[in-house]
Amino acid sequence: MSTEDIQDSEPPLDTNIFKEISKKALVDALNSVNGSKTLVLDPSLAGPLGLVTEVALLKHHGVDKMFWLEAGPLSSNTTNIVYLCRPMIKYVRIISGHIKRHAKESSKHNYTLLLVPRLSSLVSRLLEEEGVLGDITISAYNLQFLPIADDVLSLEYESAFKDIWVDGDESVVYDSAQALITLQKLFGLFPRLLGKGDHAARLINLLTTYLPQTSNPDTLFEPSTIFDSLIVIDRRVDMITPLLTQLTYEGLIDEVIGVRNSHVELPASLVNPPAPQAGVAAAPPPAPTSSTSLRKENRKKYHLTSTDPLFTELRDLNFSNIGKRLNGVAHKLEEDYKRNHSDLHSKTTAQLREVVGRIGGLQSEHQSLRIHTGISELLDPITRTEQFNKSLEIQQNLLASYNVSEQVSSIEEMIAQGADLEMVIRLLCLASITTGGIKAKALENIKRDFLQTYGYNFLPLLLSLAAPSLAILLPNPLPPSTPPEVTAFKYPFVPLRKSLRLLIDDNLEALDEVENDISFVYSGYAPISVRLVQCVAQKGGVLSNPAEKEKTSEQNKGSFGGKVQAHPIVGWKGFEDILATIPGKTVDIMQNAIGAAAPLGAIAQHKVKTTTSVVFFLGGCTYTEIAALRWVARQNRGRNIIIATTGIINGTNIVDGLAGIQKTITGTKDAGI
Amino acid sequence: SAVLALDEASRMVDPSGRITTVKSAQKFFSEDKDRSFEAKMMDESARLLALQQQLEAESDGKISFFGQSVNETIRRCIVNGMLKKADKIKSDFKVSDKRFWYTKLHALTEIRDFEGLDAF
Repeated sequence: MSTEDIQDSEPPLDTNIFKEISKKALVDALNSVNGSKTLVLDPSLAGPLGLVTEVALLKHHGVDKMFWLEAGPLSSNTTNIVYLCRPMIKYVRIISGHIKRHAKESSKHNYTLLLVPRLSSLVSRLLEEEGVLGDITISAYNLQFLPIADDVLSLEYESAFKDIWVDGDESVVYDSAQALITLQKLFGLFPRLLGKGDHAARLINLLTTYLPQTSNPDTLFEPSTIFDSLIVIDRRVDMITPLLTQLTYEGLIDEVIGVRNSHVELPASLVNPPAPQAGVAAAPPPAPTSSTSLRKENRKKYHLTSTDPLFTELRDLNFSNIGKRLNGVAHKLEEDYKRNHSDLHSKTTAQLREVVGRIGGLQSEHQSLRIHTGISELLDPITRTEQFNKSLEIQQNLLASYNVSEQVSSIEEMIAQGADLEMVIRLLCLASITTGGIKAKALENIKRDFLQTYGYNFLPLLLSLAAPSLAILLPNPLPPSTPPEVTAFKYPFVPLRKSLRLLIDDNLEALDEVENDISFVYSGYAPISVRLVQCVAQKGGVLSNPAEKEKTSEQNKGSFGGKVQAHPIVGWKGFEDILATIPGKTVDIMQNAIGAAAPLGAIAQHKVKTTTSVVFFLGGCTYTEIAALRWVARQNRGRNIIIATTGIINGTNIVDGLAGIQKTITGTKDAGI
Repeated sequence: SAVLALDEASRMVDPSGRITTVKSAQKFFSEDKDRSFEAKMMDESARLLALQQQLEAESDGKISFFGQSVNETIRRCIVNGMLKKADKIKSDFKVSDKRFWYTKLHALTEIRDFEGLDAF
């Protein structure tokens, strides 16, 4: 395995600390209820919790049985019943239903309600209205950032995007601020806060105004020596990126199979090796087989983790390279086996022991190779389908503003052929954003085709896409009655494409060999969101291709490693004009210790030391953006990037969320944990 | 409020109740002159539901149509040999030729009606 990259960007802070915190909080919360208890779980929390803990731990802390939080009777043998859920009205109704039923059956229970991530006055009001407030103890289980990779923290808040931009519910913004404050409590204040987008501005505002009220911890008032900045990107600022089809390995898995809480569901035969395996590291977590079969074959959850070195190597590569890479790994493995085999003929026991030890490692490598080959075999036929390629072609043409009206009729054609609803919507929105609106007449025809094909019940979806808060599916010209905020949000895609160098004319050959720009993640298109981060953290990368420059200057520098020292954070400097053209507020705040300006010495120090920038995506980010940011982090010495987000998104789950399509949550009672 | 009515409609099981709520959504939309497209669509939706009810009655409730999309309704008509009905839906709902033929093609392939396919 190539480890240079990993060594080079060794994680500056241990993200696992968040796992420990969440685990401890859960244990404390469970222990606050004495005796054995029945745990009733919000299904949407099972995945996130699975990242924190396992069933054994829960059992150890007195959990007797677990149920999904569902309507209908709840029978429990224990006196204690603990509910764990997000504060949602429907859950409260179910809970009060349970309590009332138990009261009628005169079975006695103690109820505890743990709300995630915090208490909500709405919930207690509702319980009061239902007349059961007195019967239940309410407290909070503060589930915040969860590490889903060494450098990625996620709140795993699935509906964040919809909450903010469709329902106008900003509690996500508040929860994000809380989580970021926790981060500051642990590691000190972010010396500089940067943000783009109205909600990003709101979040930063919360961060700065909230501080003085918080009591005690000393670290809150110390500027961090680990962090150099926090960059908040509002999803609304870059809607284009999630609409595109992700082309990295991990991104494509997410697009095609779907990754939930960094678990992917694979055919059971793929996860379970035909022969029993001794490999420990790469063995799948002992999740019980889920009984629901999505297709013909049983599905099984497989944890995509960064402890699997092969996956770490593959996850961010463009899918076109995967086959070659897997092939290389397979060859290496074969050689290793052979060598061991010949080594076996050597007789000394010490040598034998060494060989046997090596075999264990090889086996786990073998196992993970098998799984990833299997996954890419699953993906491969899909990337060859006509629909997939047609949609890619439309995407690329739209990004280049090439023959727009033809693209629109291609989309119409796809509707006629009954393509996936999500794909159609993604392409339509993309067309609307990149061109500043689809011609009114054509749009009306398409909408009509759309509704007739997929059902009139999707009218609300079309309405919310056009609503002022989102405005990503608009006619052109806009009707005169359009509210001003919509006109203000008109996205300047064409000028941006130039100023941020979004499209790269790479010949495909070169793309195969080196990933020389973040645009490799979409085979030639650079995500705007990541370009914006580069505006702050790697200014050179926006203007020209650093990798190319590197090649030319390598001779001069000799063996200096060819990496440029990261420049200190100087805010948006140099890119103010570009930022001003993008709708939404721009923020740049210095955050110093209360009262005192940061001493100059501290700033000078930063140049030598490795610092870390945190990039927070409000409203979710895609795997490709993560891949691109990792690439950015690798380009410079002295700066690491930690990615934090409200959740992992892709175009499909955005559309599903908006349309209210509930993808079946598979799994049995405790499959996720 | 129109969206609320729609939401309600989508949850209703009772056919006539559902048509009524869709109609009320249509009324909400028609009150706003910028929403003429939505109003038109809701009108279509209500017409479709009524037609589906009628189709179900004609097929003695053997084939379920209610709540399906226009395309799906056409498909089910063709699969069950009600070609005339399918053509009628096409003209009633101004289904584009392209979309109609694709639907028909898929439907005919599904029932392996090679004569029908040949007649294309």
